[in-house]
Amino acid sequence: MRIARQISQLFFLLLFIFLFLQARFPYDALLPSDLFLRSSPLVALTTFLSSRTLAAKLAIGLAILLLTLPFGRFFCGWICPLGTTLDAAGRLFFRNRRERATHIVRTYRTWKYALLIFIVIAALFSVQLAWFFDPLVLLSRFATVVFYPVFVLFSQGLFDAAFKIEFMQDQVYALYDWAQKWLLPIAQPVVTNGLAILVIFITILALGLVSRRFWCRSLCPLGALLGLCSKYRLLQRKVDSSCTSCGLCQRRCRMAAIGENGLSTNPAECIECGQCVAECPTHSISYGLGLKRRREGKDVDLSRRRILMAGVAGLSFALFLRIPRAHAHGKVIRPPGAINEETFLQKCIRCQACTRICASTGGCLQPSMSETDLQGLWSPIVIARMGYCEYNCTLCGQVCPTGAIQELMLARKQQLKIGRALFDKDVCIPWREHKDCLVCEEHCPLPQKAIRFDVQTVRTGSGETRTVKLPYVVAELCIGCGICETKCPLPGRPGISVTAEGNERVKFVS
Amino acid sequence: MYKNVIKMSFYSRRQFISSSLKTAAALTWLPPLQATEPPKLVVVRQASAAELVEGAIGLLGGMSRFVKKGQSVLVKPNMSWDRLPEQAATTNPEAVAKVVELCRKAGARQIRVIDRTCNQPQRCYRQSGIERAAKDAGAQVRHIVPSRFRDVSIPDGLLLRSWPIYEDVFGFDVIINMPIAKSHNISGVTLGMKNIMGLLGGNRGELHVDFDTKIVDLNSVIRPALTIIDAYRILRRNGPSGGSLQDVEEKRIVIAGTDPVATDAYACRLFDLMPEQVAYLQQAHARGLGELDVAKVPAKEFNFMAN
Repeated sequence: MRIARQISQLFFLLLFIFLFLQARFPYDALLPSDLFLRSSPLVALTTFLSSRTLAAKLAIGLAILLLTLPFGRFFCGWICPLGTTLDAAGRLFFRNRRERATHIVRTYRTWKYALLIFIVIAALFSVQLAWFFDPLVLLSRFATVVFYPVFVLFSQGLFDAAFKIEFMQDQVYALYDWAQKWLLPIAQPVVTNGLAILVIFITILALGLVSRRFWCRSLCPLGALLGLCSKYRLLQRKVDSSCTSCGLCQRRCRMAAIGENGLSTNPAECIECGQCVAECPTHSISYGLGLKRRREGKDVDLSRRRILMAGVAGLSFALFLRIPRAHAHGKVIRPPGAINEETFLQKCIRCQACTRICASTGGCLQPSMSETDLQGLWSPIVIARMGYCEYNCTLCGQVCPTGAIQELMLARKQQLKIGRALFDKDVCIPWREHKDCLVCEEHCPLPQKAIRFDVQTVRTGSGETRTVKLPYVVAELCIGCGICETKCPLPGRPGISVTAEGNERVKFVS
Repeated sequence: MYKNVIKMSFYSRRQFISSSLKTAAALTWLPPLQATEPPKLVVVRQASAAELVEGAIGLLGGMSRFVKKGQSVLVKPNMSWDRLPEQAATTNPEAVAKVVELCRKAGARQIRVIDRTCNQPQRCYRQSGIERAAKDAGAQVRHIVPSRFRDVSIPDGLLLRSWPIYEDVFGFDVIINMPIAKSHNISGVTLGMKNIMGLLGGNRGELHVDFDTKIVDLNSVIRPALTIIDAYRILRRNGPSGGSLQDVEEKRIVIAGTDPVATDAYACRLFDLMPEQVAYLQQAHARGLGELDVAKVPAKEFNFMAN
């Protein structure tokens, strides 16, 4: 059972990595790259509660929840790639850590239920917070914002060094070509907000110092949700009469789910990892279907006072976030296909699936920080100086797991305004220096050209007369893709930039 | 000065017409084998893109004139934009494939196709159809590696003293420049001399200010052995990126030659421009990069429909 579980963990971790790497142009994967994000029941629950609608894509999450009722927290033990990462990190880095006394661990583990209540109550008041805590989202975000850019920088450095070897140029180039097909993006992904996201992830790993899978035992709200659903499970850990109560299984259990005598099991904590089955010296332990269970104390040990506190905290925090902040509205450019702002924030889980795939094409999407208020933290916005929205691209909507960005037909997207470009005539070269430039006009992807120019005769400061092509924006045509701002050759402040003026939103369909 | 330009252009237009008539007559009347010196400029009309290229290379004396057995060839088509071949913003893929095939038949050791694009590179390579076509014809189609640009000094540069240029420009034996003929709102037209911008690193947008001088500076260090201008379809307006089929005209012409200024000068006709009206061509000629007056470079012409 343990070996089967390890194979399953490895398989799903590799699948996670594979799907992660698939999220790029050209996106013609067999499986959707956001499969793991779709399969989180917590994401489905909270986006449904906060926005009162559910994306069809999230049905996988509900299926997992239903399977948990009879089979318990198999997801945590066998599938969750963050769980696997924590298991691996524990084995690599925290081998010699002493286990803390059981009663401390038991106190900690009620936290996750409190956290779940906090999130659910906030969701009932239309503020979706699962994005901060969901393990699959956490891992995807960390991988996108920190791990992948660093991995690419590292690989690129290796290739750059290899390219210096004169006589192997062709072989290295061929290898590079292959790597670009499977591993590396065409350009270094640049994602902002890396530091905060790195610190959070490192903290979760470092909690492994306290106990094995500390995150899963004590904090993970998805674990709490699955735990609650496993309370009346059919798949049970069974100990037969040959048990000598040696206590080995109790010590080896990574979830501290086994009672002092080794006989009782906490159904809300057991993740069916099979460690006890594999290590029991008398082979007394097995898993099987049944209704009878042996337990010790309460499965979910959360006092009424705690429940109330968590609920009140959730409510207050939700209301705090919902205080209208005038400056935050209509300031940022959302990706094409984004639904209306209020629902967008209720649905968006900040998984950065859109940011990741965008980095492989135009590269305009970034997680927001100071551009939006706290309620919009790390939600995707267009930063056109860093990248632009590719005219022929609809990928962000294709990979959004919650439908916050709707998938658009290409023809529709090519006409959908996400913003509008404006010249800054004090900065733009033709306007201020009376010299031709027109880089923006050259790149404007619209067939009728949203940037045009007038040929005018001007007198320069030195009294010389010359003709210059002065560019302007045709507001009716401009869709705000931002390629003009990205490609403006000026350093720093661009001569043309896009604003959120006319940022069109789409209706939520599925 | 102004008068002078008018006069010159008038003169050369007359010369132009008479010389092309003469060439046409010569082609019709003389057996083709009589040519003693291989021509510097050829124009082929009215056939498929592949046939046009094959015809043009044939008139120039065959690919073996440029590519010797065992040499490496760098082919530089225009793959700048995420556009379909029909939109005429990128070089015709069949034409590129044919050049690759001819290089291979001439015994090239290695044929590499490369361009630094304006839109996302993979999109451009795909959408233009060139990646598929060139690969199938036996070329290596490679993406630009940012670290492989080398700062190259430009001894004859008036405005640019140096610029980062892709290493392959100097590592390969032969460069074949394969632009598509397009109108261009900044330079008037974009043909061969402008196409070499796809081999440049750095902030290319900066080149747009005082473009004419800078593009000539750069052409003084990047010297293709052969320029093949694809005018199977041309983009008449809204170049270089286009996007509207209304701006595309099917011309079914290929202009090829060894003199980069003369080939571009000849191609100006497609846009009803006199070469003298294109400032960078005039400057290129003045600075000794090639011949502006097409009459001085007799073009060998061939029309598939007329033969």
